[in-house]
Amino acid sequence: MRFILLISLIIACSTSILAQRIGKKVQFVGAARTLMSYSDFRSEESDTVTAPTSFGGYGLIDLGIKINPNSQTEILGMFRINATFGGFWGSGVSFDVRQLHVKGVVADVLRYQIGTIDYKLTPYTFFNHNPDILLPSTGTMRIKEEILDYESFNGTNNTWRQQGAAIDFALQFPKVIEEIEFNGFICRLDPSNGQTVFDRLFGGGNMVVQQSKYFTLGVNHASIFDVRGTAVSDEVYSNNVSSLTYDFTYEMKDHIIGIDGESGISSTIYSPTDDASKLSDYFIHARAYFNFKKINLGFDIGYLDNGPDFRSFGAQSKRVNFNQQNTSYQRYTNDQSVRPVSYFDLYNDPSFYARNISVGIMAYNPAINNALPYGMASFNRRGAYVGASYSDSLKIIEADLKYHFLQEIRGQGTETLKSFHYLKGNLRFSLSNLLNWKNNIALQVGAAYQSTSRTSDFGYESINLNSIILNSGLEVEFADKLTLMVNFFMMQSKGNELIGERNATEEIINYKPYTVDGIEWNLASGLRFNFTRDIYLAAMYEFNNNNFVDYTPYQYHQVSIYYVMKF
Amino acid sequence: MKKYFVLILITTLLFSCRKDKPVDGPSLTNIFGAFSVLTGLDASSDAVDFAAGETVYFTAELSKTSAWQLRITGLTSGAEKIVTGLNQSINAEAYVWDGSTTELPMFKSEFCQVELSFPDEPDTDTILLDTIEILTPKVNQGFLVADFENGFDAGWSTFLQSGALMDFQVKNDVALSAEGGSYYNMQGEVTWDWLVGLVNFKSSAYGVPTFPLNANPDVVYFNAMIYGEPGFPNSLVLFQFDEDDNEDGVFDEASEDRYAYEIQVTWSGWKQVSMSYTDIAALVAASGNQVPEPNKLKDINMLHLANPASGLAKSKLDYIIFTENGALNP
Repeated sequence: MRFILLISLIIACSTSILAQRIGKKVQFVGAARTLMSYSDFRSEESDTVTAPTSFGGYGLIDLGIKINPNSQTEILGMFRINATFGGFWGSGVSFDVRQLHVKGVVADVLRYQIGTIDYKLTPYTFFNHNPDILLPSTGTMRIKEEILDYESFNGTNNTWRQQGAAIDFALQFPKVIEEIEFNGFICRLDPSNGQTVFDRLFGGGNMVVQQSKYFTLGVNHASIFDVRGTAVSDEVYSNNVSSLTYDFTYEMKDHIIGIDGESGISSTIYSPTDDASKLSDYFIHARAYFNFKKINLGFDIGYLDNGPDFRSFGAQSKRVNFNQQNTSYQRYTNDQSVRPVSYFDLYNDPSFYARNISVGIMAYNPAINNALPYGMASFNRRGAYVGASYSDSLKIIEADLKYHFLQEIRGQGTETLKSFHYLKGNLRFSLSNLLNWKNNIALQVGAAYQSTSRTSDFGYESINLNSIILNSGLEVEFADKLTLMVNFFMMQSKGNELIGERNATEEIINYKPYTVDGIEWNLASGLRFNFTRDIYLAAMYEFNNNNFVDYTPYQYHQVSIYYVMKF
Repeated sequence: MKKYFVLILITTLLFSCRKDKPVDGPSLTNIFGAFSVLTGLDASSDAVDFAAGETVYFTAELSKTSAWQLRITGLTSGAEKIVTGLNQSINAEAYVWDGSTTELPMFKSEFCQVELSFPDEPDTDTILLDTIEILTPKVNQGFLVADFENGFDAGWSTFLQSGALMDFQVKNDVALSAEGGSYYNMQGEVTWDWLVGLVNFKSSAYGVPTFPLNANPDVVYFNAMIYGEPGFPNSLVLFQFDEDDNEDGVFDEASEDRYAYEIQVTWSGWKQVSMSYTDIAALVAASGNQVPEPNKLKDINMLHLANPASGLAKSKLDYIIFTENGALNP
């Protein structure tokens, strides 16, 4: 192990010297992070089995070597060294390849990237929605969310990290059409085992026609498919989604108006020999928007109709895997009950986050998001939404508000349909911008409320589920580069729901009654010192209180120290 | 005009993609609704000849999908067949009875009582059906070694100790047999030796040099029914399988393989013991080729043993049969 470290060091030093000598042909990029944490966990029942306190931490470095052999080619290899505290010379050290790609431009026309690619197409074909973290964060929560996103490769741009290849190029025209852009990608989701498991690929692309600054039209396609012949079977799977995207926009002196949206069809074939297993459906999403440019005030109103059999796993894969159990304090009380996944766990544990497309309907938590569990691409939803956003020119106040009213299109087990109300809003107030202070002082408050109902004369059909999530934070930079952070979040949910249990072809075969009644809240405070914009040291204390009727209440105290740098 | 036509065509294609299906999944009423029996229990036949390959199925209609249990009890033998399911309609798709049993003894030519109950519906009474008659019981495929229906075969041999209360003989008692009307009783107290008595089931008794079994030990299953006498858990039944490895017509312990399987009879009542020939693991005489070869099985020895200090040992034996590709479904 020391030998490998030594070689890495020699290579790093020699390459660095080389880099200095030959300019930017070789660069080092990456990140480093250290976390030390102390946790204290107490449940309200006698627990002589679970150790209440734990101490942990790790240090890691993601070291990437970016090589530009010429001005049109980039090669990047990034590996990770991760050492759990206390295991540096032993079993707690791991080496992983985190990123490996080659990208460049062919003849100043065709851009390509091979290896790890961060990719997306459109919200209904290939898109990394975030349907479980409903509100933006600040302060201590923002630090945690950034780490989660970095660990699970969820960029701010809703891309999925895949291994494959992507190309794009554009053609420009003198009249009628300004430009046509072509994008294509192919990646492998699953490797064959040579016997029963097929090679499963995910490929697609789009053609975006920009007719003028007023009108853009896109034709998009994404397909997940098994490669015939890579397994000893004829039961090849495929999921195909095709869509049209459009954006009519008209900009006037004081305002912008426009209509955009995406509509298309999907087909899913679980077995080519069984017609009954084929699912096909369509989706429609259209939105009109209106922006007052002078006062940065915008409104939009939209309609969506996502068919009950619409399947697009490139866009319906969730980040959070709710079938996974907690890695910290997995069981508690003397009965060693499994501790359910809390909202705090979603911020605290990166292992909940999937790193790949999941071919199949993933589990979700109805208490968090029952209205759109798979984001905008959720199937079996029809309805409308309205939204407004505001930001003054000095960014003293930034606010947005959105309300969805949705219904099922096809009932589950009954012809009576569920209705969903989903209201969320976020407000950020910057005192420093108001008073023109250099040091940042900002308060952010957000809330998301969801209600699900189905009214019926039969008690077993009736559904009534209400949830609210609050997320607020205060940042006060009381000394140069030193910021005090205070955060509070809360999730409260009460009611019942019936969760469909599905077979291998995603058909509902049974219903599992779900009930929830309780509240979880989390109070955190901390200090953050920014050495530079990309390097900081933060210390925080969090108190999490979890009190739900269906399982033993517990409290969680956690002290953490983070050192984070990007280079 | 052409533009409108294209628009109409695209719209028609889009909307034709959606199935006209009112509900996803099973009806909630079927799962969570009130329970009632809409159509009572009935049988497809009131008399059935299982030996001729006939079967019988049962019907009932329920108001919702429910867990059900069907119990068929032989009024003479006391044999029981217990079937469970989760259906709204109980019919031939849910279950067809071929005359097999769940709890030994096996069904005989007798009348049977049929009961239908619903474990998740405690307020619903068990439904009884008028009796159905088994004209001839089920016939099992395989090589029958012994069912004792014709007494003690002259080709078998036996050795009995001169202990106290010795009773090794075929007995006729329809109510007490695992199959048919006879069984082999084994009883005795021997204070100086573990062996109480033994029976040699020789292949020659069937007119063949070796038992006519498949050569593949994985597909050959040995089955026997053993009765544990309540209050006498000290019986041991040891089966020995002697192979004629050199195919000279004689088993020689010094040069050929003997496999053995010992069973401690700790239960009360009849129990079926089944194992594949491969699982008869104990090679007690490893003098031959040490390969389990059912087609070279020369003799089967059944030894009734007991600890000399344990007093009187009692058990019964019935229906020894070899089957292929699985254990006996009695």
